[in-house]
Amino acid sequence: MKDGFQVVGIQQTDQRPVHGSGSRRQEKPVISALLLLLLVAGCLACNLFVDKDPSYLDLAHSNVAPNRDYLFGTDTLGRDIFSMIWYGGRISLCIGFVSTLIATAAAVILGAVSGCASRRVDGVIMRVVDILLSVPSLLVVILLQAVLGKASVLSIAFVIGITGWMSMSKVIRTEVRQIRNSGYVIASRCMGGGFFHILWHHLAPNFVSSIMFMVIMSVRTAIAAESTLSFMGIGLPVEVISWGSMLSLAKQALMGRAWWMILIPGFFLVATLVCLTNLGNYLRRKINGRHSNL
Amino acid sequence: MSELLEVRNLSVSFDTPAGEIQAVRDVSLTVKTGEVLAIVGETGCGKSVLCKSILRLLPDIASIKTGRILLNGADITDYRERDMCRLRGRVFAMVFQNPMTVLNPSLSVGAQIAEAVKIHSPGMTRLAVEQRTLELLRLVKIDHPEERCKQYPAHLSGGMRQRCVLAIALAAEPELLFADEPTTALDVTIQAQILELFREVQAKLHMAAIFVTHDLSVAAMAADRVAVMYAGKIVEIGTTEEIFRNPRHPYTWGLMRALPALAGGRRRLYAIPGMPPTLIDPPKGDAFACRNEYALAIDYEEQPPMFPVTETHFAATWLLDERAKGLEIPVPDFGCSDAEEERGELAAEPDILLDVQHLTHVFPLSKKETLTAVDDVSFQIRKGEIFGLIGESGSGKSTVARCIMNVYRPTGGSIIWQGINVCNPKAFHTHKKLLQSARQIIFQDADDSLNPRKKVCDIIMEPMKLQHVRPPRGTMRAEAAFWLQRVGMDAAYLDQYPSALSGGQRQRIAIARALSMEPTFLVADEPVAALDVSMQAQVVNLFKQLQEELGFSFLFIAHDLAMVRFLCNRVGVMHQGRLVETASAEELFRHPKHPYTRRLIESMPIPDFSWGVSERRQDR
Amino acid sequence: MNSKRRIEGLAQRVLFFLASVFVLSVLVFYVSRLAPGDPLVSYYGDRAEKMSPEEREWAEDKLGLNAPIHVQYICWLQNAFRGDFGISYKYKMDVKELVGGRIGNTLLLGGIGFVLIFVLALALGVCCAWHEERLADRMICRIGTITSCIPEFWLSLAGILIFAVTLRWLPSSGAYSIGKENDLGDRVRHLILPLSVIVISHLWYYAYMVRNKLLEEVRAEYVLLARMKGLNKRQVLFGHCLRNVMPAYFSLMALAVPHVLGGTYIVETVFSYPGIGTLTYESARYQDYNLLMLLSLFTGIIVIFCNVSAQMVSERIDPRLRMDDQRRYEEVDRL
Repeated sequence: MKDGFQVVGIQQTDQRPVHGSGSRRQEKPVISALLLLLLVAGCLACNLFVDKDPSYLDLAHSNVAPNRDYLFGTDTLGRDIFSMIWYGGRISLCIGFVSTLIATAAAVILGAVSGCASRRVDGVIMRVVDILLSVPSLLVVILLQAVLGKASVLSIAFVIGITGWMSMSKVIRTEVRQIRNSGYVIASRCMGGGFFHILWHHLAPNFVSSIMFMVIMSVRTAIAAESTLSFMGIGLPVEVISWGSMLSLAKQALMGRAWWMILIPGFFLVATLVCLTNLGNYLRRKINGRHSNL
Repeated sequence: MSELLEVRNLSVSFDTPAGEIQAVRDVSLTVKTGEVLAIVGETGCGKSVLCKSILRLLPDIASIKTGRILLNGADITDYRERDMCRLRGRVFAMVFQNPMTVLNPSLSVGAQIAEAVKIHSPGMTRLAVEQRTLELLRLVKIDHPEERCKQYPAHLSGGMRQRCVLAIALAAEPELLFADEPTTALDVTIQAQILELFREVQAKLHMAAIFVTHDLSVAAMAADRVAVMYAGKIVEIGTTEEIFRNPRHPYTWGLMRALPALAGGRRRLYAIPGMPPTLIDPPKGDAFACRNEYALAIDYEEQPPMFPVTETHFAATWLLDERAKGLEIPVPDFGCSDAEEERGELAAEPDILLDVQHLTHVFPLSKKETLTAVDDVSFQIRKGEIFGLIGESGSGKSTVARCIMNVYRPTGGSIIWQGINVCNPKAFHTHKKLLQSARQIIFQDADDSLNPRKKVCDIIMEPMKLQHVRPPRGTMRAEAAFWLQRVGMDAAYLDQYPSALSGGQRQRIAIARALSMEPTFLVADEPVAALDVSMQAQVVNLFKQLQEELGFSFLFIAHDLAMVRFLCNRVGVMHQGRLVETASAEELFRHPKHPYTRRLIESMPIPDFSWGVSERRQDR
Repeated sequence: MNSKRRIEGLAQRVLFFLASVFVLSVLVFYVSRLAPGDPLVSYYGDRAEKMSPEEREWAEDKLGLNAPIHVQYICWLQNAFRGDFGISYKYKMDVKELVGGRIGNTLLLGGIGFVLIFVLALALGVCCAWHEERLADRMICRIGTITSCIPEFWLSLAGILIFAVTLRWLPSSGAYSIGKENDLGDRVRHLILPLSVIVISHLWYYAYMVRNKLLEEVRAEYVLLARMKGLNKRQVLFGHCLRNVMPAYFSLMALAVPHVLGGTYIVETVFSYPGIGTLTYESARYQDYNLLMLLSLFTGIIVIFCNVSAQMVSERIDPRLRMDDQRRYEEVDRL
């Protein structure tokens, strides 16, 4: 018999398993994440490296352009912008997180209820959400803020949160509906899984990934909304330092051509928002592996 | 007959992050004018990619690595997109697998056909285009073409849509029609009609066609020549007669033996062991070697070239090499041997386990309309019996299963399970624990029935945890490992996520999860419909083996008649929500009583495999 | 049958529209009166604080503020039907005249902005989808992400600082220079900055939506069939994919109306543009009830009108929405 020509039958061959095939690899937003981390850390630990009191009104040194003493200059009230940036960042970020917390809680509860409810209840809830979505949120915020009276950090966060949950709840509702009809939920029900078992073991792990994007976007929207409101004078008053309230002095700054009072806080604000958006886009569910047919 | 299309040593690769997938490897074939070539193979063997690469419809990540494509002798490999546009439709046309998604939902059917007519004859008047559209609709035998023209795809049934797709493909009278699994997504009876139409049109227009299918019996009915593909290569090619009477490649043998239609009373279906290789970094030698019981040592080292058997018949296996002559190859036994083994008939009449009486289920569609999915269905399942429920899609068989499992509360009738009326909420609640552990369900799409964010061990342990079962084998994990091994998988898979597994493996896990409760009654809703032939055989064998060992009663829902005939003791046939016939499996297939059952059985594509084993022995 | 159904549908829409406007007016009326603050302050200025109780009562009586809220509302409603929306407390003139003088400016700014966004977003989205994942697409995506993050007010400030204050190319505020009310060129010069801000800050959000929707469409199987017919890529993209995206785009743009309108109000405030944006925000701040009512109603009507009409347009051009029965059947199938 010539070599190789004998029946050996089935033999094990090493086939290395292939992981992560399919979806296109996305570049990770490293720069955004680092920058954001730096900003957040700076705001949290600002009392370690900021030596000036941000709320001290040094009227002798108002409208000073950036120099060695005042790195970012001072505003029309003579406050040091460098220290205001970091202390104000605390407030801005804090409002972003608190209002997102409120919005997310509202969205998850209503979205999950609507997703699990009968078709009629679901229809009513989604109709209401649609109507709320079509009202200009600025108008609602102005009205609500007027009702709540003088703005504080918490009331602003509350108002922004309560007007920002609608689109998130729609996403959650769609997710829940989809997952609810999937085989594993029906199988789990047949095996005796109760509502909470299904919610915790099947629904939650599957919709968390899809709402992470919405949550991050909601932080972004909240920070932007706070700054807009404060700028227009319906948000935080000038004494409470945030990136928005710093910009509410912009009109005076324009007259005095104090570019640093507008550009520097704005730059920090925009940088934060851009970083958050990049992170969010990364978390957004990718267009799954399929390729264009065009 | 002249050679219309010639493909020489074509290799196509996909450039993915995980590596280069060699989807088509060194394929050569020719198609003559007016000839039908069938390409047969399992999912992922590259048959679709081959067709799309000839038409150049592949995404950007795919590229032709080597090889030439010749059309009437002219090299079209390097044609640019603009030139290909001119060939598509006029020379090449294609019919796709899923008629449900392939038509544009927001354009009327007529507009979509007219578009195909217009693009290749720009000077045509509107009236002429309209005339031609109607003519095409008549050609594909659509009734009332004037009205159908104005309808949108959503108004049409799957078979109708496939006819429309065919009409679009025929619009410019192409010379070569590619049909990519055109009947797979359709019901059996529709499948037979479309196949018939396809052959008729092909003969009438004298077109060449490449017919891609995973189903050998369909290939046997449709084609003049057959090519068998495995792992991106053509392993055997020849005329239909040669392939079916004298197959030479072990993979072709395996495919044929795995057909349940040919099981003819054997206790087990033949199953090709193992799984197809991934085409990233394919094995060095013959890709099929590690699943081939006749593999030679050289198969693991070197890829076999194409050996000629006759002038038209080639096969890529070392078994045909000069040096392998004289090897004693145990010739596999195909054929429906008449020496039928006595089916494990249930001796006496055992007790009735499940009694479904006048079950009716109505879905509300809107305030006025309703849909009666299940209409007055009654049947019984005895202990230890495998009961098959067959019917086409939309016949209500899944709804029956879900009513039995208390997923839906039926509108009318009753379901008595061991004396408990499970439709009665009160009775259900008193016996909840028993009902939920003794009855289990397996779904069609294992993709969807396993939570993608849970590990295999958590999935298998879920029912045990829910019912607070004390694991007889110590820990829950040991229990999960035990059941995983029981369904033929290694315990190493316990910590994998479902996405890392193949369809067959996922279905095994679903089975393990259901059986871990040691149910007395198992419902399987089309458990093998989404699997390939060889995987189907593995899973069905597993069902049969486990049922014999564990003795549970089994409601098996399927649309594949041959599968039901092989597996089941008794069979019920459902049609439009009604149960039209119930009989023992053999009885039903030999003497169908209801006209619908007869139609179903007639439309079953059973290949004419009248070749005998003796014939093959002679030419050795 | 078909026309009957269409009339029924139209009637339903109109009813829905009227009901929404009514609910809106009730809500705004109640909420604004719940707000703390003294409307008299806006009418009498600082004098209000020094008033004796009798004087106050007389003043409140004059303005119709001491009746119970629902009586006040009915009164307002009756007057409103007659076309009388009352007077503004702050400006001491008929609110209709006040709003009427400014509404044109807002509609001009917002309207042109909206149309520009509508057209440019579509063009940009198609352009990105066409060049998917190639350099052009990546660049546009990156720049777009950044611009969409910049709050309108800050973009306006930066614009004023650069183009008006430093470079002195464009005027920094107002709708026209004093004495040049009828000079078209001057008006256009005043529009450039606010308009660019509105377009830039909203454009990408919608362009990105178009891009993603198109990329989804492009992955659908019908694209293969269309290409198999012999259509080239451009024909497939415009004739099939874009066509299927349009209904969704119309509904999206209907939802965009409140956002663009809100954005216009903000931009107006920064540029001291004499539109109703500044008025809205002042009226809410100073409890100028009559003015607030008219403005919210106006905003609401625009928004609701756009929504309803977008829905109707979508249904006209998208056969998928007309096939309710079919969809419901499929839904049942999936249950």
